[in-house]
Amino acid sequence: MRDGVLRDAGIATLVLAGFLAVTLGGFGSAGLLDFAIRFATFGLLALSLNLLIGTTGLVSFGHAAYFAMGAYAFGLLMQRAGLSIPLAILLALGCTALLALVVGALCVRLSEIYFAFLTLAFQMLLHSVILSWISLTGGDQGLMGGIPKPPFLGIDLSRPLHLAGFGMACLLVSTVALRQVVRSPFGAALRMLRDNPDRAAFVGLSVYRYRLAAFVIAGTFAGLGGVLMSLYVSGAFPTFAFWTTSGEAIFMIMLGGVTVFLGPLVGVAIFLILNDRITAVTEHHGLFLGIILLVIVLGLRKGLLDFVVDHWRARRGASP
Amino acid sequence: MELAELGECLSSVSCIVTQSAAGLTIGMLLFLVASGLTLIFGVLGLVNFAHGSLYMIGAYLALTVHGATQSFALAVVAGTLGTALFGLFFERFLLSRIYGRDVLMQLLVCYAVILILDDLVKIIWGADFRSMGVPEEFRRPPFIIGGGIVPYFYAILFAITAAIAVLLAWGMGRTRFGRIVRAAAINPGMVGALGINTTVIYAAVFAIGAGLAGAAGALSAPIRSVVAGAGVSILIESFIVTVIGGMGSIGGALAAALILGFTRSFGSIGFPLFVEGAMFAMMALVLLLRPSGLGGKRPS
Amino acid sequence: MSKTNATTVGRRALLGGTAALAGFPNIGFTQPRQPIKVGVPTILSGRVAQLGLSSRNAMQIEVDRFNASGGLDGRPIELVVRDSRGVPAEAARLAREMISGEGCEFLLDAEPSSGGFAIHEVVRETGTVTLHVNSETSSLTADPRQRFWNAFRVARQGIHDSIAGGAYAAEIAKARNLRRWMTVSPDYAYGRDTTAEFVEYVKNFHSEIQITGETWPRLFQADYTENITRLSQGRPQAVYSCLWAGDLVTFVEQASIFGLFQQSQFFAVNMADYTTLQQVRNLPAGVHSGNRYLRNFPDVPENQEFAAEYNRRFNTFPTNWSWQAATSVRLLGTALRQAGGTDPRAVAGKLKGMTIDSPFGVGGKLTMRAEDQTLVDYAIGWGVTIAQDPYIQRMTPADWAVIYRLEAEWKRSKGWT
Repeated sequence: MRDGVLRDAGIATLVLAGFLAVTLGGFGSAGLLDFAIRFATFGLLALSLNLLIGTTGLVSFGHAAYFAMGAYAFGLLMQRAGLSIPLAILLALGCTALLALVVGALCVRLSEIYFAFLTLAFQMLLHSVILSWISLTGGDQGLMGGIPKPPFLGIDLSRPLHLAGFGMACLLVSTVALRQVVRSPFGAALRMLRDNPDRAAFVGLSVYRYRLAAFVIAGTFAGLGGVLMSLYVSGAFPTFAFWTTSGEAIFMIMLGGVTVFLGPLVGVAIFLILNDRITAVTEHHGLFLGIILLVIVLGLRKGLLDFVVDHWRARRGASP
Repeated sequence: MELAELGECLSSVSCIVTQSAAGLTIGMLLFLVASGLTLIFGVLGLVNFAHGSLYMIGAYLALTVHGATQSFALAVVAGTLGTALFGLFFERFLLSRIYGRDVLMQLLVCYAVILILDDLVKIIWGADFRSMGVPEEFRRPPFIIGGGIVPYFYAILFAITAAIAVLLAWGMGRTRFGRIVRAAAINPGMVGALGINTTVIYAAVFAIGAGLAGAAGALSAPIRSVVAGAGVSILIESFIVTVIGGMGSIGGALAAALILGFTRSFGSIGFPLFVEGAMFAMMALVLLLRPSGLGGKRPS
Repeated sequence: MSKTNATTVGRRALLGGTAALAGFPNIGFTQPRQPIKVGVPTILSGRVAQLGLSSRNAMQIEVDRFNASGGLDGRPIELVVRDSRGVPAEAARLAREMISGEGCEFLLDAEPSSGGFAIHEVVRETGTVTLHVNSETSSLTADPRQRFWNAFRVARQGIHDSIAGGAYAAEIAKARNLRRWMTVSPDYAYGRDTTAEFVEYVKNFHSEIQITGETWPRLFQADYTENITRLSQGRPQAVYSCLWAGDLVTFVEQASIFGLFQQSQFFAVNMADYTTLQQVRNLPAGVHSGNRYLRNFPDVPENQEFAAEYNRRFNTFPTNWSWQAATSVRLLGTALRQAGGTDPRAVAGKLKGMTIDSPFGVGGKLTMRAEDQTLVDYAIGWGVTIAQDPYIQRMTPADWAVIYRLEAEWKRSKGWT
């Protein structure tokens, strides 16, 4: 167990060091930095959602609510209270966790499709609140006027290089943390709930409490993604809480794969590259994305990393 | 809140007539879309997220046929049958591959189809919004009942949608096909064991559901602008209806659609800024207190 | 690609050699004729695709004209148009990518207000000279906190429209004794601000007007029946609306079968755009509308020619977004030539206060006002609808002197001067 943490942390540190070496070494084009920030942002969203979908077996259609909550809470705290960035991030995550706790407490009792609908309903409710509470949120125009980014500990997030490094660090720390969650006894219990809730209840696990805990953890990490997003666009917009954002997150997970822990991150990378390439060559963005999605879902019937791993396992299983 | 105005409205005959007629028409059009959605869920166990796009196709087909023939009747028939046919292909070539898979797969296939259809519609019919206009033969002065206004075309719409609803109820309740469909909804294995081809039943039910959505699109083309992406708002409302009415219950969908229609028409007077919120709140409340909805089976 | 490069290089070397041999001191004309890349983030898909398409089309007409007349010392403008799908965060990303990844030196932001504000924040950081083409929300340029040296607005704006509309509507109201008014406008920033401003000015010009009720449909609402019945319950003498495009078409179709236009005078600021006028099948006569884009207002040959060329090339008519987009290219092109290069400070300096010849301006001129870097003196007026082409008659031009005076008062009341 401890070895696992150390190994993961070691790998994460190496990845971060590699990234910083590339960017500081002058190879970091503006495009690469932009990509890194967006990768970190959506990586957090997708990875946290997969804790619900992949590990716990709860298909949430309303995950973007916590993404938006993190973005708005952080943006408002920075604009109105003038806090330091680390403190504002902690408070924003606290707000997000609280929201996830309240919504989760109402939702996690329900079974599959009803759970999906209720999470969606709460997300749209949050979307309506953001749109109508204009004095606080700016309504449909979003939080405007920029988000102040006072430097802390020598990090100046108004510089793209620093923001990219900070974003990647957040993503890597969260990845290690979420991996610990998945591999812990708690994670094993979640998988048991997914595969056989009756047996889990029989063993004496509280289905409700475990699911709720997973829901809150996932929501909080999505909130961190939202914080990065608001730093990136220097604002927050109601579309963060719209169902399309949740839809894209599910899309990303599906591209990469749900059974392999790092699958969602692969999916995020593919999605971002596809998105950028397709918007650059055609205005019929939906047509191409839709066809690619159909090919993956109906052709591979699983995410890319799932497919690769299964293929590899099958071959390894056959060879000895 | 302007509840005083709502009270005033409820004490005036003309206001009640106008708002009720509006609520009935909105509700019945919504029912056509939602009944297809709930029927498909009940029988196929499939949540058709692309249902709004079927509505959109119906509207575009009707627009084209009306443009060519100037006949509203032909336009509606073409919108209904064309969409049903499209639904048949959609079910056979795409959806049938994911039966029994989890809801995530259904979502993704439908999401892909929504993306593709929105762009295809744009390529075929252009990005501009279009409008059919109320056909010549229905441009007549509104009925005035007790001082309230009931537009002539709304009365026609209500008559047609009500006729479709009655036909649907008769078809599901009194025919052999309807009995098989209801049986298939409860126990598909049993129906298969009796030597009835469930594949045919599934395809037929999906085509009927699609045809209902297409009919709603075609019927509303004269009064709503036709545009790519129009399906989304319809989809969200039909979901609310389906959930409140109970997934799989046609009677429940009718009740819920009318409740929503009246919430819209009277809500616009009593609580104009919270009409949307009220609908989502109702849905959340139903899910929390009675997840099976007004007329649904208990969820398994 | 590599082949053309090779020939260019070959020719350049040859020319350079010749020049050197001939002893010319200036070999500037042998510089490569690299295009000036101009980024255009906009919406090309979904319900408001028309915004981006009609902006892009008009820009292309003007860009072709600029390039055909020699460009900037032979350097043509090249447009890089990308679809944000109406997502502000995506608009911000596209803007960044255009600037840092694709080498765009200027932006013509053709997003609506929401995306426009997102791009505004991006270029505040990057210092890219940006012309906002479709953002009509007044605060974008009126609020000094939003203002910085490299951002300009080339669009009509809410406050101008509201003052012009208020003045016109008040005259009609006085003549026909219309006192009880109601409003029906989309429930989002543009709808709320524009309606509040209109109400303020129509009352300012005619104090006896009362607003007896309001109804606020959602943006892109599919059906307006409940809003119309609300209006007909209130029995107003006049109705104001800033619904636009497909939403306005749906509203008008539905309201006419309720007989609303027999009951009340209808003032729809966004009616007079061809794509809207042509789509309403039962266009009621006598609806009052502000001009969005009309080929006969201003009634000058160059305006008719613009509409004709647009129609010939794209088989449809220009929109309000089109004249704004065309104007943005003309302003940028003129500034580039005057500055003699693409240095951002120099180009921004030329844009500030620049006046150009334009068929869309009052008296054939348009001005980029120096104090708040926004377009003024564009043609603005109100008229009434008729069922056939030219759809609008009796256009009454607005008085810019009144607009300037009240706009200054409005800014003071907001504490923005």
